[in-house]
Amino acid sequence: MFSFFNKREWKSLDKVMLGACILLVCVSLCIIGSATHINKGSINYDFVIRQGGFFIVNFLLILGICRFDYKKLKRFAIPLYIINLLMLVAVMFLGKSALGAQRWIQLGPITVQPSEFSKLIMIICLAALLSDHVDDLRSYKKLFPIALFVGIPFLLVLKQPDLGTSLVFLAITLGMLFIANINIKLLRNIFAACIVLAPISWFFMKDYQKSRILVFLDPNSDPFGAGYHIIQSKIAIGSGMFFGKGLFQGTQSQLNFLPENHTDFIFSVIGEELGFLGCIFILALYFILVYRALITAKDCKDSFGMLIAVGILSMWAFQILINVGMTCGIMPVTGIPLPFMSYGVSALTTNMMSLGLLLSIYRRQQTMIF
Amino acid sequence: MLEALMKKKHQDGRFKYLYWILIFIFFLLISRLIYLQIFAGNYYHSLAEGNRLRTIPIAAMRGIMYDRNGQILVGSRPSFILTYVPTKKNMPDSEVTELSQLLNITPDTLQKKMKKINSSYEPTVLAQDLTQDVVTKIEERRNELPGIAIDVQPIRYYPYNSMAAQIFGYVGQIDETDMERIKGQEGVSSVTSIGRAGLEAYYDDLLRGKDGGRQVEVDAAGSPVKEMDRKKSISGHNIHLTIDLNLQKATEQAMNSQIANGIGTAGIAAVAIDPNTGAVLAMASRPAYNPNWFTRGITEKEWKQINDNPAHPMENRVIAGEYPPGSTFKIITGTAALELKKVRPDELIFDSGRDWQVNMRNAGGEALGWINFEEALAKSDNVYFYEMGRRVGIDKLAEYASMFGMGKKTGIALRGEASGLIASEEYKEKVFHQDWYLGDTLNAAIGQGFQLVTPLQAAMIVSEIANGGIQYRPFLVSRIDNLDGTPYKIFAPEQVGTLSVSKSTLDYIREGMRNVAEESGTGGSLFADFPIQVAGKTGTAENFSGADHGWFVAYAPYDHPRIVIAVLTEQGGYGVSSSGPIVKAMLEAFFHIGTYANPGTAAANSTDKKH
Repeated sequence: MFSFFNKREWKSLDKVMLGACILLVCVSLCIIGSATHINKGSINYDFVIRQGGFFIVNFLLILGICRFDYKKLKRFAIPLYIINLLMLVAVMFLGKSALGAQRWIQLGPITVQPSEFSKLIMIICLAALLSDHVDDLRSYKKLFPIALFVGIPFLLVLKQPDLGTSLVFLAITLGMLFIANINIKLLRNIFAACIVLAPISWFFMKDYQKSRILVFLDPNSDPFGAGYHIIQSKIAIGSGMFFGKGLFQGTQSQLNFLPENHTDFIFSVIGEELGFLGCIFILALYFILVYRALITAKDCKDSFGMLIAVGILSMWAFQILINVGMTCGIMPVTGIPLPFMSYGVSALTTNMMSLGLLLSIYRRQQTMIF
Repeated sequence: MLEALMKKKHQDGRFKYLYWILIFIFFLLISRLIYLQIFAGNYYHSLAEGNRLRTIPIAAMRGIMYDRNGQILVGSRPSFILTYVPTKKNMPDSEVTELSQLLNITPDTLQKKMKKINSSYEPTVLAQDLTQDVVTKIEERRNELPGIAIDVQPIRYYPYNSMAAQIFGYVGQIDETDMERIKGQEGVSSVTSIGRAGLEAYYDDLLRGKDGGRQVEVDAAGSPVKEMDRKKSISGHNIHLTIDLNLQKATEQAMNSQIANGIGTAGIAAVAIDPNTGAVLAMASRPAYNPNWFTRGITEKEWKQINDNPAHPMENRVIAGEYPPGSTFKIITGTAALELKKVRPDELIFDSGRDWQVNMRNAGGEALGWINFEEALAKSDNVYFYEMGRRVGIDKLAEYASMFGMGKKTGIALRGEASGLIASEEYKEKVFHQDWYLGDTLNAAIGQGFQLVTPLQAAMIVSEIANGGIQYRPFLVSRIDNLDGTPYKIFAPEQVGTLSVSKSTLDYIREGMRNVAEESGTGGSLFADFPIQVAGKTGTAENFSGADHGWFVAYAPYDHPRIVIAVLTEQGGYGVSSSGPIVKAMLEAFFHIGTYANPGTAAANSTDKKH
């Protein structure tokens, strides 16, 4: 690209993945604009400008990251892990509350959500840990340090409370363990244990979490309370039908029937305004994204890179499943943003960094071949 | 490098799994989208439209009721109503309490009302006829009361309050049963008023009109964003009643003053008919209620006042009250006797104070000696009419009663009419399984025993005597207008029968009735000096559960009857003292006599005096 890359570097760049990402962010900026009513009299470009600005900064950043040799990160795993813990502890004491949870830290003009960054840091640290134990995960004794390693940040995030992000941690861990050739029997037993223990977690849930589960089972049990989001989101998506109502034309989002529509429920706006066609287009881009991540992981010659790629892939796939599923009413409501789509600069930065790492891993194996 | 190649072998399988997991995730999501957006797309589209489009109904104006001279009897006036549509934001309890205080209802009732309408998109009326003060207070708190809106709608208004309440009836807010009943009819909405009694109920379909509506786009808070469409409401048909407002007022006033004197507290029924057409000139029933109470939502206290009254204020006694006709029945007994030649009018019959065969006496214990027909009718002599009963026989008596219209509904266009009862051998056998005795016949002849009549039937019987034997169907509505004032329907007098009675017989009855109002008659104390010649009949009907009921039926003028009146005072004792004054006041009002002298003429007279 231009003079920044030489010919060889351009060749070793995963242009498909990068292109998919750019397209997703472009759609995202339009939808955020629509959801925050930039077309209405009271002009409020704040969200679009902020998200767009961060995208440009991040884009430039990943051009650097993809040249960076990701293998060097392995050495920083332990400091990174400690920084992560400190960050999560800091939220507990310095964080500001919003919507009943303490998830954000104010840094000057920017509100940072450490749990977002924490996901990528966890991927790197866990990859560093597991890369030395690939093919070696055959007993509970071997798994115990890993459980402890993941468990501490997991509980800290759960405490915020941020059930969504902690579930992402689990998905990442499972994905990476799976590819690290964990004994399939062990994995099966862990799964079984989770299913048995799941009902017990009911007693540790906060009231709002319980009601989310209840309305997931029957949204009409509380149509103007906890079930409101699900009902209105389904109406928004369904009413978009095949072609959608057109950008800025969605009545559900424009008339505020659909709250949080620029963050967690942005997919509902896509469904309403861009219709089934738009949804398929977005899902196709996501599939390209995760498929390229899978190829990157599969082709990676070293376990560390492979595990990082699988971690990122698991994170994205899980978030897409839960977020889109939630807006369609087949998953309970959890505060999980849609990668590259939901408004939120912490999430965007994390996802862009992840992309940068994937590009870097892809690039290494290309240069090794040639 | 070798280690790397070894690893590949192990993991390729797992990557394949991972690949299929990804395929499954996207397959799942796309399937769901196909369902939501393609199969159920129309359904969700209509839900989205329901979210954003709200039809705010505009209540139609109910048709006006006019009296025979075009005076408004029942109309409509603008009022503020409070509507509610559930929104996402729940109303906090404190606001519900606040609102319930403003509306003067308990918070529980309000909560219940609001809960009931959980998922409807059409505004539901929570309260009607708010005062300006309450409206201001609610508008000030608009933001704290999501889903609440204030609207101006016409409301039914009865300017004369309880006057003719049972005739006009009342309206109430539409309910679920009404919705079920008139579902699918055009112009029915949540703000429709439904006639619940009287003419309001009988002509509800015509009076109701068609509600219109404004279709507005609203945001999630329920605030209108823009108006999309508007459909005008269509007023109901105006109807013209045969009622004469002045006569009606006088009737009610006379009843009230009797009640103020302690007469008729158990109930009074009064009706005036034009004998030449069957048109009802006035109709009133006591005790009454105020139909305005229902229009704005009746309070518990008001409802108790109506519901706990043992005299049933909502009953229209004129058509639904069944009473022994008492001596007024002697008109029928007399007609039968004369027509069947069982007696000559000049034949003298000896009244010894009791019947010569059965031990039955005159009511006051008097004995009038030798009397003829006219005297007997004027003085309401029981012994004479016992004899008439014996000569006519129960079968013929029943036949004549039936010919006059007793025992069947008059067919007036009102709900809840009773048919009365004719005493007959057959009836006694059927209901009591007892044999018929001579005493029963004698009782029947003076309107006691099994005989029952409604005040309206009594008026119609007198009307037939007065007009020469024509039986009309009494009617209250003479004309229904179209919106532009042209007639939609005109009700002409409807003859339903004729008395097969000779003119001479009727003349004798009429003369006897005229004598009632003469010096020597039972009504003489009231009408001896009356400037217009009145014919009438008093009656005192035995009542086994209290004091006797007092009847007075009359028509006037004697030679060219223009009005027939029947008044019954429950437990009023003698008809002449209980019902008589009401009849007199009604006649005065009708003929502009005495206190009811034409105000225009009175003014002219006073001006004359000054000169």
